Amino acid sequence: MKTFIALVFPWLIAAAVAQPSFTAPPPPTAPVEDAAMRRDQYLARRMEALRWRAAQANPAEPAKLGLADIAAKLALREDAAVCSSRIVELMKTPSADMFWMFPVTCISYLGRDQLTAEAKAAIREAWRTYYPLRGDTENHWVMYYTTLHLMADLWPDEGGDRWFNGKSSAEISAESRAWLLHWMDLTTTIGQGEYDCTHYLGEYAIPMLYLSTWARDPEMRQRGRMMLDWVFADFAVETLHGTYIGSHARTDDTTVLEKWNALSSYFAWQLLGNCPAPAAYGGWGVYFAAVADHYDLPEVIYRIGTDRAGAYTHTERKRTRHRWRNSDERNAPVYKTSYITPDYALGSDQGGLLQPIQQHSWDLTWAVPDPRGVHNTIFSVQPFFGPDELTMYFTEMPDYMPASVTFQGKPTYISESKLLGGSPYEQIFQQDDTLITLSDIPDSAPWKQINGFFSKDLTALEEDASGWIFAQGGRAYIAYRPLAPYEWRPLEKGGKRLLSPHAKNGTILQAAAARDFASWEEFKAKVRALPLTITLAPTPRVAFTTLRGKKIEVAYGTAPRVDGRVIDYAKEWKLFAGPYLNAEVGGRRLTLTHGRLKRVLDFNALRITDEIVP
Amino acid sequence: MICSRRLLFAATWLLATIGCAAELKHDLYVCANLSPQGGGVMGRGGPVRSGLFRSEDRETFTHLGPHHIRTFSVTHDPSDPARLYIALLDGILRTPDRGQTFRIVTSWDMTEAKSISVDPHRPEHVYAGIPDGIAVSHDRGQTWTRMNAGIRRAYTESILVDRTKAGRVLAGTELGIYLSEDGARTWRLVQATDKVTYALRQSPHDPRVFLATTASNGAFRSTDRGLTWQRLPSVPGDRTLHNIEFDPRQPRRLAYCGWGVGVQISQDDGATWQDRTAGLPKREIWRIAIDPDLPDRLYAGPYQEALYASDDFGRTWRALTMGRGTFFDLVFIPRK
Repeated sequence: MKTFIALVFPWLIAAAVAQPSFTAPPPPTAPVEDAAMRRDQYLARRMEALRWRAAQANPAEPAKLGLADIAAKLALREDAAVCSSRIVELMKTPSADMFWMFPVTCISYLGRDQLTAEAKAAIREAWRTYYPLRGDTENHWVMYYTTLHLMADLWPDEGGDRWFNGKSSAEISAESRAWLLHWMDLTTTIGQGEYDCTHYLGEYAIPMLYLSTWARDPEMRQRGRMMLDWVFADFAVETLHGTYIGSHARTDDTTVLEKWNALSSYFAWQLLGNCPAPAAYGGWGVYFAAVADHYDLPEVIYRIGTDRAGAYTHTERKRTRHRWRNSDERNAPVYKTSYITPDYALGSDQGGLLQPIQQHSWDLTWAVPDPRGVHNTIFSVQPFFGPDELTMYFTEMPDYMPASVTFQGKPTYISESKLLGGSPYEQIFQQDDTLITLSDIPDSAPWKQINGFFSKDLTALEEDASGWIFAQGGRAYIAYRPLAPYEWRPLEKGGKRLLSPHAKNGTILQAAAARDFASWEEFKAKVRALPLTITLAPTPRVAFTTLRGKKIEVAYGTAPRVDGRVIDYAKEWKLFAGPYLNAEVGGRRLTLTHGRLKRVLDFNALRITDEIVP
Repeated sequence: MICSRRLLFAATWLLATIGCAAELKHDLYVCANLSPQGGGVMGRGGPVRSGLFRSEDRETFTHLGPHHIRTFSVTHDPSDPARLYIALLDGILRTPDRGQTFRIVTSWDMTEAKSISVDPHRPEHVYAGIPDGIAVSHDRGQTWTRMNAGIRRAYTESILVDRTKAGRVLAGTELGIYLSEDGARTWRLVQATDKVTYALRQSPHDPRVFLATTASNGAFRSTDRGLTWQRLPSVPGDRTLHNIEFDPRQPRRLAYCGWGVGVQISQDDGATWQDRTAGLPKREIWRIAIDPDLPDRLYAGPYQEALYASDDFGRTWRALTMGRGTFFDLVFIPRK
């Protein structure tokens, strides 16, 4: 994250100067029906990003050209001589590991017929002398091995003395292919590990675009193409007007409040065209734009992201990233539920420590006409941190890590007021647009409390004598019920924090569309009338009948029940299930449907099948 | 007066150093991340080189091989001390020529190696502790196989080959110390622990004696070649102990360190301990080492500080000049 901030921050400053889609009114959210027009608009957005990026660089000051400027210029086929001379300089001081590898791979391929021999030689030499780290997360490895595979394609038949790691081109090619196949197999059988990340979406999409475009082996190109469709389908189905909603393996302190403000929104803007572009196209967006003309978003994904007939429930099974310690499961299952309407979306996981540091387990996000600067979300967390979490997912020594994390771009990790991260003492269950969390926090936990986020952009907020807090966000009515007494704390970025300092605790959230009620008063009256039993001792327990008439019974430490039926996540949660995406666990096969459109991504046969259903 | 004392101390130290220099039979290798606080992050560059360093005089350090912020441990081939194996984030790095050339010898499926040990009786056999088990090579690191059958929670931080018998290996894992007597084909638990065993050492004086330090159970000693272990009652178990060392020159002298523990030394084989942290900037000590060539020379690496040396076994300390950082390992490798 720190790398990301360091590299992107100057762009964010520059973005404020002029960036058409960042400063203009938001685009219409209705789908574009004409396929040719849709493609033209997609390519126009690509050109906007490239031209903006290229314009940030001043050819008169070549010393200021960065890798992103060069990628944009080469994609536009301009200033190749200036780019070449600058590359010679930049290759003398490589840094940033895999975050260096994929920009340089992009430049190398774009520059094959543009760069000077000296520039190419400088790049070649850098891959011999500069030793990029392999990294320790899934996104690192995707970038590392995809780019190694492509560069070994570019420089085949070379010996180990020509590469930083001492391996030959053939060895690198074989190893990187093996890892990529392993990752694709994991993802298409038990789900992605760093799933649904508001930033790291790019770290998967960009390498897969490159693989699909440049790999010499047709099989790897096909795999890249299929994974790109997979990743984008997985993204599109959980967006609300382009904003990534619900549970994320990783997000950050900004995006968790301002949901649109993320690299993922660059992809929504680029692919779906239904939201403003983030500042500087999210930073890394330019590296997708540079090659985006080689990708044609399937119409079925476009429509899943932009053209919904009505509310739908979508469930997914993902996995935790690798657990090295403190667990008997290498990759524990993550069970996600999202309920998405035109007005709001509620999304969640089952709670627990599913990812280190940046986990976001649930939120309600409401639709807004213009998401820029808007905190259109509400959620709660049980704040937690500790060496056991970190040593589960990292192989480092335990004691120094919590404080060290705060120096690495995650400043709130050990903060009592944190609004980011998972907790081993939190269980979550969602049914439609109702969600209940339960916490039973031991004395050994860092904090025995729940933090609830109440946005500055709520248009109504009433603390009701019934114990419910009623709120309105956009066209969504919200009823929020803390299970234990609470107090309010101001938030630096606006809004306020509900602090409920009790170990046996939880949250109930009931959302509804304003249009379904004659008035605000009617909504409140109906919620007050809902059957609700709260028991906190000896362990928290809730029985609640939702606005949709479902009786939810949850007790900390046991499986939830709905209308008397025990919910068995392991049996019931498929890799994807819903009206648009369906895949079985272990199946390696994703079916995408929208109306009469159907596409099957079959990794068993490495085949894409399109069909118009009669 | 103070100035005179300092001059006298410096002169004494210089004479001692020069006097000893001719006797140095080992080089000191240091695995270090010299990035500033928060700087040792994947994907972030920095002007300071980290990784493997060698000192031939115990005062100056030469960086070897790649800049690498997660270089955890190094060992050598007993039949050829020029051949080094380095456990690091990327797996195992091997150099055949004391750091002139390098090659990653593991593949994608072995990551973040923490420790490495070579069988002195069969130096083509190399064992590495990795986060999901134990990696074994039978061809001097050329190819590797994961061999941790029988180990629950296979996270392995420390690994050590018993120098008395080929194929006899001890592994410090997440939940205990395991022993293999058949070259890692089978393993059995010889000492359960609640958390990770971070260091295993075999006595240079009596090969039947081993020591181990853990994250939550203090330190253990075995006097029967690792078959049974006894908790050292004099060592508290409420802190993470990073490593423990035998003094190669004095059989009853030991030292250990850890997080918040400082430097602790024992002159009576672990019956009692004295705190030797005074003079160090903090009690969070990542690593200690006892020099096999210089009498009473002790090293300590406080977290995010300089590497420190003491020539009176911890009574006084001075900072060496290789920069501040995290010192993952300090290893003495014979020159011949």
